[in-house]
Amino acid sequence: MDVKDIFAILTKAIVEGDSEQLVGLVKQAIDKVDPLEMVEKGMAPGMTEIGSKFGEGQVYLPELLMAAEAWEEAMKIIKPRLIETGASMKKQGTVVIGTVQTDIHEIGKNILANLLTTAGFDVHDIGCDAPATKFLNKAEEVQADIIAASAIMSTTVPYQKDIIDLLESKGLRDKYVVMVGGGVVSQDWADKIGADGYGELASDGVQVAKKLISQKKGA
Amino acid sequence: MISFLEVLQRATTGPMMSAKEYDMKVFIPAVREVVKKYKIEFDPKDPCPHDDDLADRIYQAGVELYSKVGTYCTDTERIIHFTVEEIEQAVDECPKVVYFGEGPDRIEWHGRMPDDNKLPHCHVGSGTNTTEDVALKMVEAYGRITKAKTTSIPSLTTVGTLSGSLGSPMEVLAGINMMRIAREGLRRAGRPGMAIIDLHPSCASGIGTIASSNPEFGARKSDGWIVAPHAELKINYDSLNQVAYLTSWGANIGQEAGPIMGGYAGGPEGTAVVTLAYAFHGILVVRATYHLTYPIQMLNVCSTTPEMIYVISTSSQAFARNIRAPYYALGYASAGPATKQYFYEAAAYLLAIQSSGIGIEDVHPNKAVGTNQALPIDSEFTCAFGHGNVGITRKEANSIIKKLMEKYMPNIKSAPKGRDLYQCYDLETMKPDDELLKLYDEVIKELNGYGINFK
Repeated sequence: MDVKDIFAILTKAIVEGDSEQLVGLVKQAIDKVDPLEMVEKGMAPGMTEIGSKFGEGQVYLPELLMAAEAWEEAMKIIKPRLIETGASMKKQGTVVIGTVQTDIHEIGKNILANLLTTAGFDVHDIGCDAPATKFLNKAEEVQADIIAASAIMSTTVPYQKDIIDLLESKGLRDKYVVMVGGGVVSQDWADKIGADGYGELASDGVQVAKKLISQKKGA
Repeated sequence: MISFLEVLQRATTGPMMSAKEYDMKVFIPAVREVVKKYKIEFDPKDPCPHDDDLADRIYQAGVELYSKVGTYCTDTERIIHFTVEEIEQAVDECPKVVYFGEGPDRIEWHGRMPDDNKLPHCHVGSGTNTTEDVALKMVEAYGRITKAKTTSIPSLTTVGTLSGSLGSPMEVLAGINMMRIAREGLRRAGRPGMAIIDLHPSCASGIGTIASSNPEFGARKSDGWIVAPHAELKINYDSLNQVAYLTSWGANIGQEAGPIMGGYAGGPEGTAVVTLAYAFHGILVVRATYHLTYPIQMLNVCSTTPEMIYVISTSSQAFARNIRAPYYALGYASAGPATKQYFYEAAAYLLAIQSSGIGIEDVHPNKAVGTNQALPIDSEFTCAFGHGNVGITRKEANSIIKKLMEKYMPNIKSAPKGRDLYQCYDLETMKPDDELLKLYDEVIKELNGYGINFK
């Protein structure tokens, strides 16, 4: 099997969420193929493909989660090799993501977290019911570029504004890009509270994040 | 039926695992298994099937699914499990008729069957964001629709200049204020005993529910009190606290569920089964005597696409044929208020649910996003639809739905935003402006041409 065939099978295993096949092949190939290339030319295209299919409604969350799980299993083998060789993957940026205080809805946030991971972002998920200080503390800890806050209910969206208020009060507003989303969130609301980005759908969030990161790095 | 105390016991003794493990190892595989086992397949050519066997297979799949996955309690990180026998016993014993309201406004709500000749329960109102200055008039307008049997009331997100954030004292005050306003609105409409069966949007938390239920504020146990899960099939102690209080008070409890197509339930087939399975969660865990469902599509964030019409029609048929308790559904249109597309989408959704044997409610415009988007004319449309199409069959509905979809599906992703209450109503008289009245007359004539009647 040549290297191109290995990459093609890695891609297919990710798209099919087949952890067993993926891990098996990674174990076989790890001593023969550059681990960074296995990720960038084999697995990452699979994640891009499954992310696109999800955005187009051709596959659903279970398929996306299974692909993400397969990715994580394979990375348990690949990461130590990357560290050994001193190679590092290209990173789009670092994101702290969570659902705001008192809101326990996680599906949209989980989807965006998965899609951002597949798109090459380093994602730190702080879960649900997260107060503004938790977003900020994590962002400071991991030196994040983006804070992404989800809120699904009309009575929880005000907590998105709290995050921006907190950043302003600490003099850190310009340090972070703030993205908001969730069921009742709209562009009007995002504009009103001074958020930098908004995605109607979880799948929109990746493009918004890429655009905002590019603007931030260009600034 | 097993007792609520037994449910609480199982919430502290059932199998323990993380929510992620529940989703990945329990829920997703079980949904996939029952969809395959019961051969449930979505056919886009038939968004509203008239297949009793399919409806019954979805029911059986729902029973089997719920016996495998139960309800996950996020506070105790345990699964509350029920056997097939316990689920079937609960279905046999749950009330098939529920009473709402007081005095001459008191009503009985019975379950219906698919293709039924009985008038559907007509529920009006919107629990969407509404500003305090128009909330009273909105409820009064709902009350004036005599064909409406029960009402939802708006969600107040402000208390004076303060935001009504969930879990805060402002939420408690918003809930109390809205209950006071709503009862006064119904008095002004001449229907003081009309039941409010959805206060939930203003006060979703346990403390908000309990605070607003004080009779001093106009609340009654003959109203309906909704307890929400979160997707999919999860509950927390805050919601169980609501149940503990409401059952002790003897109030009507409603279970609501908004399964997400494209989420953990997967495609339309899995979402139909999960939508049905919420009924068992409702009866057993939430102790519900009536049920509200609003499945929604993740991709378009609305419920009028072929997939979503299939989900609501098949799961409703499964419920109506096998459970026969009060059940109604809420749809989300992609189009905004006061647009022709809104009425096309609303008509398609109402055709699906009325013919499938459940109660009807106003379809919410603009995906229920934004403020002051729900209009009283939407409620009038719903009731006139319900009364005008008694006895419509699923086969007839399916044919009309497909024609309506040809009109609105090309614009589903770029639907018109429309005009809000301020832009198309005289707020003194609460009458639509001439432009909206003209549009409404035109759309009614157009829908008449498709065989839809309004009375």
